[in-house]
Amino acid sequence: MENIYYPRQATLKNIKEETPTIKTYRFKLDKKLKFKAGQFMQLTVPGVGEAPFTPSSAPGEVKEMDITIMRTGNVTDKLHDEAKVGDTLALRGPFGKGYPMDKFEGKEVLIVGGGVGLAPLRALIYALFDRIDKIKKIHICYGAKSPADQCFKDEYKMWDKKKKVSVNLTIDKTHPDWKGQVGLVTCLLEPDCLCEGEVDVSNSYAVSCGPEVMLKFVTFKLLDVGFKPEQIYLSMNRRMSCGVGKCARCNIGPYYLCKDGPDMCYADIKDYPNVFG
Amino acid sequence: MGIYFLSGSKISDLMNVLFDYGDIFAARETEVASNRNSKSGIFVTRLSTENIQNYRVPGFRAFDNFKSFVLSARTKIADYPAEEWADIKESREKKVLVGLKACDLISFDILDKVFLDDKDFVDPFYSNRRKSLIVVSSDCTYSKDTCFCNLMGNFPYPQSGFDINLSEIGGGYLLEIGSDIGDEILGKLVLPVAKENQILERDKNRKKVLENLERNNFAYKEAFSNPEKIVAKAFNTDAGWDLGSTCVSCGACTNVCPVCYCFTLFDRKGNKKEQYKRYMVWDSCQFKGFSQMAGNMNPRFAHMDQFKNRYYHKFYRFYERYKVYKCTGCGRCIDNCLGDIDMREVLSGVFASSEKGK
Repeated sequence: MENIYYPRQATLKNIKEETPTIKTYRFKLDKKLKFKAGQFMQLTVPGVGEAPFTPSSAPGEVKEMDITIMRTGNVTDKLHDEAKVGDTLALRGPFGKGYPMDKFEGKEVLIVGGGVGLAPLRALIYALFDRIDKIKKIHICYGAKSPADQCFKDEYKMWDKKKKVSVNLTIDKTHPDWKGQVGLVTCLLEPDCLCEGEVDVSNSYAVSCGPEVMLKFVTFKLLDVGFKPEQIYLSMNRRMSCGVGKCARCNIGPYYLCKDGPDMCYADIKDYPNVFG
Repeated sequence: MGIYFLSGSKISDLMNVLFDYGDIFAARETEVASNRNSKSGIFVTRLSTENIQNYRVPGFRAFDNFKSFVLSARTKIADYPAEEWADIKESREKKVLVGLKACDLISFDILDKVFLDDKDFVDPFYSNRRKSLIVVSSDCTYSKDTCFCNLMGNFPYPQSGFDINLSEIGGGYLLEIGSDIGDEILGKLVLPVAKENQILERDKNRKKVLENLERNNFAYKEAFSNPEKIVAKAFNTDAGWDLGSTCVSCGACTNVCPVCYCFTLFDRKGNKKEQYKRYMVWDSCQFKGFSQMAGNMNPRFAHMDQFKNRYYHKFYRFYERYKVYKCTGCGRCIDNCLGDIDMREVLSGVFASSEKGK
């Protein structure tokens, strides 16, 4: 019988510093692995523990994957402090359902990310690029604290140049190096900004990932500008341990995010308690 | 399959046959050094050939649950890196459990839904342990104030899920066979087939215990008729949940519960360099750390949210996913609560409050 708790070895091939607190780790897997955009992996730092992360690289059948990680707890501190190229870590997965890619066909996709929340969305962005002929438009909105806190900085231009794709950036507070939009990411969704004319709300899906408090206000803003709960997908975050729908802590209502999510349609979860913490 | 009679003095004959199948762990009336109310209690102990002579199957459920035979408090689930742990071999070592009550049997059915029947992810450790059990259950000959299996749609006597079931009657036990292995075991004893009047006596005893339960729990009947609807309605309100205020988040209820299975994984350094161990340990939704995330986020930070979560899981979430309630009605959580919280009173309070709101 397969041991669903056994972590498979993965070698750290490259480490890229995105921001002072965020790094992208490239892992070489011991065998090929197939994952969909939005599905997550349980990353083991040997002897320390496991934590769930959604890969940030293009999905498919891969031998290598990127995982973009912010320093924020036991596992991630250890990783940031001590991991170096050539180290052996371990991975379990992929788990979860991933984004409903079929639903996005023929639609506009509004992607709203905040901080390190752009990481799983990057996997989605590349999955959408892969089938760009079937997608009507892709609007990418991304908010970060400051220019120094933006992930994947060197890719925005390349994304923006693509046909049918627009990239809209904002930072929280004015900064001498920043000439673009200033304000929280919700300001990009204001009717006078993007959601008037640019986005065909009735023919769109919105997908968001970021801190929970951001998800909350992004959701409210999206509802404000005319999105229906059925059109909103949120990458929800809860503590996870098993990843396989058993340990019973990552629930929202009757759903386990590890098995039924972690990307949930807002219509499915909106009436349950503690959705936004 | 048949029903046979075993005289009370010959219970050791049955035990001796069971010894051939594996170690026996039995619910047993045991003296305890200090207990608030009584000098003895029913605990699960290991039987040895020396102490089976005066063994008597207790008429009531054991203080401890049998969950630890399928989900132990701590299980090593991996040595890594070590490829042989990626696939877990089926183990054949048998264990014999004696004296389980209907509520204990149902607890296995409920745990199976999560660890065995979810074909996407079968837990190999649970599966091995579960398949290695030989289960000898027994009828309840009395119930206590804290029992409420009837409210959960269960009965104080086993109907399925056993290999052999014992029903105490005058002069001995009726033995009912529930599986092929049960049939094989009883085949090794020469037993008379139960007489009609003996079966009638058994049924009379059963009815008596059930009637007692129904009388005791009559007041809670309405609150338990559709608990999933009641809990669902009380999702976003604290009204009616006031009894939770005496909860001290000790986790006793989840530990003694035969179906509370929430766990966590943790890793340790191994004995050798670059070798690590992974354990699965019991956890409790009543602990603050249960849903605490990195970065100090906690969706169930409030004490009341933790308290309510146990009810959501038992009566709503589990029901939505598996169409059964995650509660057997054994009453162990009521017996052991430091805050004197009675699950029946809580649900009734929530029910009354939702009725008032109409």
